[in-house]
Amino acid sequence: MSTAATLSGSSREIVLSAEHLTKRFGSREAVSDVSFDVRAGEIFGFLGPNGAGKTTTIRMLVGLARPDRGRVQIRGLDLSRDFVKAMGHVGCIVEAPDLYKYLTGRENLLHFSRMLPEGAAERIPELARLVALSERLDDKVSTYSLGMRQRLGIAQALLGNPDILILDEPANGLDPAGIREIRQLMRHLASERGMAVFVSSHLLSEVEQTCDRVAIIHRGRTLATGPVSELVDRVASDRLRLIARPAKRAVELLAPFGEAEITGDDRGGDGEGAIDVRIPREKVPDALRALTAAGVDVFAVERSLASLEEVFLEITGGETV
Amino acid sequence: MRFPGLVENEILKFARQRRFRVVVLILMALIGLIVFAQSRGRERFLKGKDWHVETQERMARIQNWLRDGRMPESSQRWARFELDRLRYHVDRDVNPDAVSGPLFVRGFANAASYLLLPLLAIVFASDVVSAEFAQGTIKLLLTRPVKRARVLASKLAALLLAITLTVLFGGIVAYVFGGIAYGYGGWEAPVLTGFRSSGERLDPAAVRSIVLWKDTILAYGLAWFAALCVGAIALLTSVLLRSTAAAMGTMLAALIAGTILPRLAPSWEAQKFLFVTNLPLPDYYSGTPPPIPGLTVGFAAATLAAWAVAALAAAFLVFVKRDVLA
Repeated sequence: MSTAATLSGSSREIVLSAEHLTKRFGSREAVSDVSFDVRAGEIFGFLGPNGAGKTTTIRMLVGLARPDRGRVQIRGLDLSRDFVKAMGHVGCIVEAPDLYKYLTGRENLLHFSRMLPEGAAERIPELARLVALSERLDDKVSTYSLGMRQRLGIAQALLGNPDILILDEPANGLDPAGIREIRQLMRHLASERGMAVFVSSHLLSEVEQTCDRVAIIHRGRTLATGPVSELVDRVASDRLRLIARPAKRAVELLAPFGEAEITGDDRGGDGEGAIDVRIPREKVPDALRALTAAGVDVFAVERSLASLEEVFLEITGGETV
Repeated sequence: MRFPGLVENEILKFARQRRFRVVVLILMALIGLIVFAQSRGRERFLKGKDWHVETQERMARIQNWLRDGRMPESSQRWARFELDRLRYHVDRDVNPDAVSGPLFVRGFANAASYLLLPLLAIVFASDVVSAEFAQGTIKLLLTRPVKRARVLASKLAALLLAITLTVLFGGIVAYVFGGIAYGYGGWEAPVLTGFRSSGERLDPAAVRSIVLWKDTILAYGLAWFAALCVGAIALLTSVLLRSTAAAMGTMLAALIAGTILPRLAPSWEAQKFLFVTNLPLPDYYSGTPPPIPGLTVGFAAATLAAWAVAALAAAFLVFVKRDVLA
């Protein structure tokens, strides 16, 4: 679990560090000894299934909840001791982008700019442009779509020109176009402005497409931390999905290369079907040659990613937790 | 960052919610109804009586008592004040028993201090913190670079302002509506106040004569103070319960209990330490016999203040310390 060889490089400044965060609710430990660093200019993914402790961790990162053990440092400032100074560097959305629905977008931004040092209000037009809300800024938030609320939430988080942006499941409830917009925005903020972006998600694909580094959390514990590509490769590199006809024959031919099975409804075998198979990367060309040589039509071959659950099984199986 | 900005935020939220307009409408409708109903009853009561003759008789009777000399000292004071008051009205050719617009305003202070003003204070206060929880906006509010205590202080300031405006507005509406029915003049008329009951009998020793407008300001000041204290207590329930409905329900139950309790259990003296028993400050001030012996305006105001201070201390402590997990 070395963080030394990250994509963004270890030379970048650490903006936020969580150290041994632990939170108990009664006798249940919701978060146990969670530690990670987020550096300037990187998008850091916080991946885990619902109920894994993501939101509880985020609440501790932004001072909504007090950790029972451990501490949060933002730009070297201890959050619990220097709350006001530390939070001056943070913009965040926790859970849903909840804003005042009976106020307009502009009034919401003005409201939160009054909670910041002078000058935040002057950034409103620029931020509205950045999140593509200029046209609707004077409409009530109650008339906004979820995507627009999410964007307004991000504009709100950026009002204070933060060093770190913390977003909790920003893709939740958005359509693919909305997700793409948010993703581009995060990229822009990280690479153009050098902002650190911390984003939680329960979707592996989401994290894989967006993030530079990721921490995987399950049942309140971090299972792995590292560059996304490294983690995904560890569990997903030997998984393939093929679309072939006849499917049954294809499974027989693939058997020597690895375990193969037909997925989906059509297990009859003579028609076209989807096949999941685990073949080591170096043997994939041979397997495909065997199929074509036997007259099996191959329509598609794609690397199939394990479900998140499988990633966890894979990781927890390989490490002692 | 800057405190006035924070208060501005809270005022904006007050003003933009429907609640404020509803309260304004409630006040106007209620006062209008009271004026209408009262003026109807009044007309029947005054019909067929010549107040000139009646007042002259009353003055003559009081003068006789005073000349008699057997009246105790304390009652003589009262008798002279009453005589002055009647003379004042006769000199201006005004019925001393008639309601004037200003008198209606003054009476409204007493009537409203029991239930109406505390109720409106509760309507405002029980929402102040719990609404932020209900909307989820508390998560934004408390992740800004502002101390939690300052956030709550700004909410408290806006709440006190809203209650103040409500009391003022109530007085103004009462004057406007009362004036339509009874005329707008009469602020300079003397009124007798400060009766104290000792046991069964009314003790006139502390009676004072005071100009109506001063008396009215005092009464509204007391009603305002009581409403602020209720607001502070309701703010605590809003912080503790994090639900507007629960906070409002709790406070309403307390208010209702407070109006019932003295009637059902008048012998239980410790109830004078409950905040609800102490709400009708204007009544205690003008000398209406209190439900529990020993309730003076000073005692009631001090008890209310103690409740409010304790409630605020608890509200700040909980608001600053508690995790936000909703």
